[in-house]
Amino acid sequence: MKSLTAARTAGDGQDLVTTLGGHAVPLRARSAVMLVLISIAGLAMFCWPLLTHHDASGSAHVTDAPIIFAVTLPLLVFVILAEFADGGMDSKALAMLGVLSAVDAALRPTGGGTGGIETVFFLLILAGRVFGPGFGFVLGCTSLFASALITAGVGPWLPFQMLCSAWIGMGAGLLPRRVRGTREIVMLIGYGIVSAYLFGALMNLYSWPFLAGADISGHANLAYSSAYSLLENLHRFGVYTLVTSTGGWDTGRAITNAVAIAVLGRPVLVVLRRAARRASYDLVRSAD
Amino acid sequence: MRRLPAPVHPVAWWLWAIGLAVAASFTTDPLLLLLLIGVACFVVVLRRGDAPWARSLRVYLLLGAFIVVVRVAFRCFLGASGSGTVLLDLPRIPLPDWAAGVSLLGPIHLSDVLDGLYDGLRLAAMIICIGAANSLANPKRLLKVVPIALYDIGTVVVVAVSVFPQIADSIGRVRRAQRLRPDSGGRKWHVVRRMIVPVLADALDRSLLLAAAMDSRGYGRRGPTPVRTRRILGVLTVAGLIAVCIGVFGVLDDRAPAAFRWPAFVLGVALAAVGLAFSARERTVTRYRVDPFGVTACAVAASGLAAGGLMILAGQYAPAHLNPSTTPATWPVVDLLPLMAAVIGLLAAVVSPPSAIQGLDEEVPA
Amino acid sequence: MIELRDLSIRYADDRPPELAHVDLHIEEGELALVIGRTGVGKSTLLGAINGLVPHFTGGRLSGNVVVAGMDTRDHPPREMADVVGRVGQDPVAGFVADTVEDELAYGMEQLGVAPATMRKRVEETLDLLGIAALRGRSLATLSGGQQQRVAIGSALVTAPRVLVLDEPTSALDPGSAEEVLAAITRLVHDLGTTVVMAEHRLERAVQYADSVIAMPGGGVVRSGDPATMMIDAPVAPPVVELGRLCSWTPLPLSVRDARRAARPLRGRLADPSPRARPAGDVALRAKGVTVQYRERVAVRDVTLQLAAGTVTALMGRNGSGKSSLLWSLQGSGPRSAGSVLVDGVETSGDAKRGSTSGPQIGLVPQTAADLLYLESVGEECAAAGPEARALLDHLAPGIDDGQHPRDLSEGQRLSLVLAIQLAGRPRVLLLDEPTRGLDYTAKALLTQQLDTLARDGHAVLVATHDVEFVAGLADRVVVLADGDVIADGPTADVVASSPIFAPQVAKVLAPQEFLTVRDVARALGDSRELG
Repeated sequence: MKSLTAARTAGDGQDLVTTLGGHAVPLRARSAVMLVLISIAGLAMFCWPLLTHHDASGSAHVTDAPIIFAVTLPLLVFVILAEFADGGMDSKALAMLGVLSAVDAALRPTGGGTGGIETVFFLLILAGRVFGPGFGFVLGCTSLFASALITAGVGPWLPFQMLCSAWIGMGAGLLPRRVRGTREIVMLIGYGIVSAYLFGALMNLYSWPFLAGADISGHANLAYSSAYSLLENLHRFGVYTLVTSTGGWDTGRAITNAVAIAVLGRPVLVVLRRAARRASYDLVRSAD
Repeated sequence: MRRLPAPVHPVAWWLWAIGLAVAASFTTDPLLLLLLIGVACFVVVLRRGDAPWARSLRVYLLLGAFIVVVRVAFRCFLGASGSGTVLLDLPRIPLPDWAAGVSLLGPIHLSDVLDGLYDGLRLAAMIICIGAANSLANPKRLLKVVPIALYDIGTVVVVAVSVFPQIADSIGRVRRAQRLRPDSGGRKWHVVRRMIVPVLADALDRSLLLAAAMDSRGYGRRGPTPVRTRRILGVLTVAGLIAVCIGVFGVLDDRAPAAFRWPAFVLGVALAAVGLAFSARERTVTRYRVDPFGVTACAVAASGLAAGGLMILAGQYAPAHLNPSTTPATWPVVDLLPLMAAVIGLLAAVVSPPSAIQGLDEEVPA
Repeated sequence: MIELRDLSIRYADDRPPELAHVDLHIEEGELALVIGRTGVGKSTLLGAINGLVPHFTGGRLSGNVVVAGMDTRDHPPREMADVVGRVGQDPVAGFVADTVEDELAYGMEQLGVAPATMRKRVEETLDLLGIAALRGRSLATLSGGQQQRVAIGSALVTAPRVLVLDEPTSALDPGSAEEVLAAITRLVHDLGTTVVMAEHRLERAVQYADSVIAMPGGGVVRSGDPATMMIDAPVAPPVVELGRLCSWTPLPLSVRDARRAARPLRGRLADPSPRARPAGDVALRAKGVTVQYRERVAVRDVTLQLAAGTVTALMGRNGSGKSSLLWSLQGSGPRSAGSVLVDGVETSGDAKRGSTSGPQIGLVPQTAADLLYLESVGEECAAAGPEARALLDHLAPGIDDGQHPRDLSEGQRLSLVLAIQLAGRPRVLLLDEPTRGLDYTAKALLTQQLDTLARDGHAVLVATHDVEFVAGLADRVVVLADGDVIADGPTADVVASSPIFAPQVAKVLAPQEFLTVRDVARALGDSRELG
């Protein structure tokens, strides 16, 4: 409504001035509240094996939980995406998101995830850095979704991957803004490494109960058990993730991120910033 | 009567697949699971089109096999602790304390192998059902049925999917062009940079043109925004999300008060869903040629959901035979009801028409 | 229909205005052609009609733009969408969906048109533009002309009363451009749609225009009847230049009119003087070059020699194997058989990698920007070699070191890539469609640049569709069709007699073999001296 009133005051005698500026996907207070709530719920859905407190007998719900969550999480992700879209995403932001998602999806096969060479995140981190947390969050979701559609990889794991990479994109947008130059690249490399391991750990946490199974009979085989305490389960998970993936995929991913940002960080940031300048968002209309 | 080739509503295929997956989740009987996998594959082979995503079933079959192998390996080599017949007597290697009391190897019992196999097979069957849906449902048509609140996000994905081949083209073109630069010496990483930067810059320039085109064609039109409705929906959604947060933790914890468990969770999810369904109502967008959810679609969905329902029913009446014992190992027995559950999914192939083959006009202009 | 009242637009307060106090009136059902050099604000004028300027681009607008009673001040582009349809230069960049049908429907989806109506209008539009056979096709698989017609269709499907086209044919080959222009004129005549179109290649468009809007620069806009406006328009097609040279009144706009006016001239003219550059020794010797992609033979057994100091044009329709031949000659493209020797050295394979003398052949690809990857012109030049900067200054003076290569104009970017490719001191230079997107001025500059290079002893081979460009530049023309060489000879012999490749001047003055206005001027000068 703001824009219409502004236009009306810009009557015949006066100039109509539109200035450009602002964020591609603005993070409003309401969006932020929803984002926090969904992040809490989403994190719990990742970590449920660690959080369960059941008597050994009442394990019926335990098998239900992942299925229920697999149905619920997409809904939550959709809620927050709809909120961002409603909060003033204009066509420029939308086109930019679409094109960057496509580039991201195109980069993915070059790594193919083999040996942990996962090239999705470096562009996500850089774009989140340039366009801000809201954009980073949405890009994280859409680029994984698009690449899942292209490679026919839609499944219950997809919402979890989307949320995870959305956090990575958002986090990149929340890094201190004033750091520039070499220090910025160093900071982003650090973030890339941390986020690679975090992504690995979270996705492992997601697949842990499925791959290692539930330890119902109380034997030690690296599976979670609802009878154990949080700490004990965490310990088991720690060992699980260390043996299964930290040495391989996660480290590969971290190295990919670090190398990609070190090598391509500066030129890609320049390209993205140039685009951001040319396609500034949010028309601020005024009459003078 | 001969049915004309026509696409089946993508949601119908997903419901069908989810029904099969639910059926699979309720049993560890390998015969039933193999039967379910067979049914899923059979329907896919009969009814898939010639689109790229239709070829994805193989990947999912491989993934399923991988899951079974991993699951069995976990059971057998990480502190196997079954009983009954010993298949292989390996020495047990205890690990230091930090490893959470885990030990490697040890004698492998038949029950270990079977437990791992059954469990893995169940998960594999579920994954393969999902793969079947991926092969059968046209993802682009799926995007047409998203609620209006997700229209923008749907558009982002549509744009991404349609720009994707252009990016791939652009990569090929740039790679060829870059070979012409006289200074191809220099540091090796230059090669990557020389690829990525022009492709990205090209893509971003493109996005601005695309945005202008979208604006000129009316993108983003809204009717008058009822402020009060928006506010109410916002409050509803936030309240729903708070309830979901409470509910998630409640569900996982036996000690939480009853009201904070399933009721809170379900209420929260319902509120959030309502908020999603009713937001962005002021958008005036309509959809072109949405697939009708007709009789065929209903029948396809019903055959899958019936599989799930029958299996749940079987679980109520004769749970014993759905999860064959591994200690001692017995031959799996298949009752009539679960058998029906496993094969009823085949009906989808009977009720659905063959998929329309797109004209093979993939001529690439030079 | 369209009213511009005292319209001024500037993008930033510290920059000169793009448009200054423009008053313009376009009648309903008119085809108005906007002409002017690159960068004079044609796109700004067109963008202002549906409100993209300043709502989308940002900027300051004073005065009013009123289209069908709607003022763009109060209505952003999305609300003008059912009144003004817009088609951009590159159809692919504006596509939202990925099949023809969905793309056509997109605009109506946005306007909330009922599904039944949508279905009907899509069918009608498919027929209107003759693209019904393409309905289910993926947009990426269409030819350029088909894509642009789909883009026009998707703008038309909401039945707008005004259609704005920003250089709709500049990225197309002549055949496709012809196709698109025919579709546009049919719209004007059959539907009464008001069309405002900016166009580079006036030789194709000016004869169809009802009025001409000329933009000489400085934000000034003048409009009027085509024949009067073209007398001193800033850019003009050869037929108009010929008319100006001979002071014909009224000024002819089509070959037909000019031919009638030229009757007395044809008798007066002496035969054209041959103007081939002196050919040096043979720089490139290609024998039996064949390029095959799986089943398809793109180039079949082509034998070709390029002499130093000459410019050869390679012509032929899209997909006739021009690009494949160029890349294969250069050595980096595939080649199934044959040999290409430059000064006796094979260009492809190990022989090239082993040599230390750098590439013997420079190639400027169709999308020249693909070669550029650094952040400034200076860095690009430095990366290319020590001589690149000097070459660039020589080719196109006045390009600043600090500029981002992507911010340069099409012509400047081409010069930069040319300089980069020449820095390796190749003896042979190949160019693939260099005139795409260039206006007359930039084309004239390129002609001059290539002429200089040829006189310096380079052998130049240009693959192009642009007959006027060929007429003004080439010594020799090679025509490819379906991978075979079907004609090879001096430009005048090959081009003048061909109905498709003949430049306008040749058509006007046939059977005399004049190719350009300059040739005629020279001949007139000669004949006057004689007389």
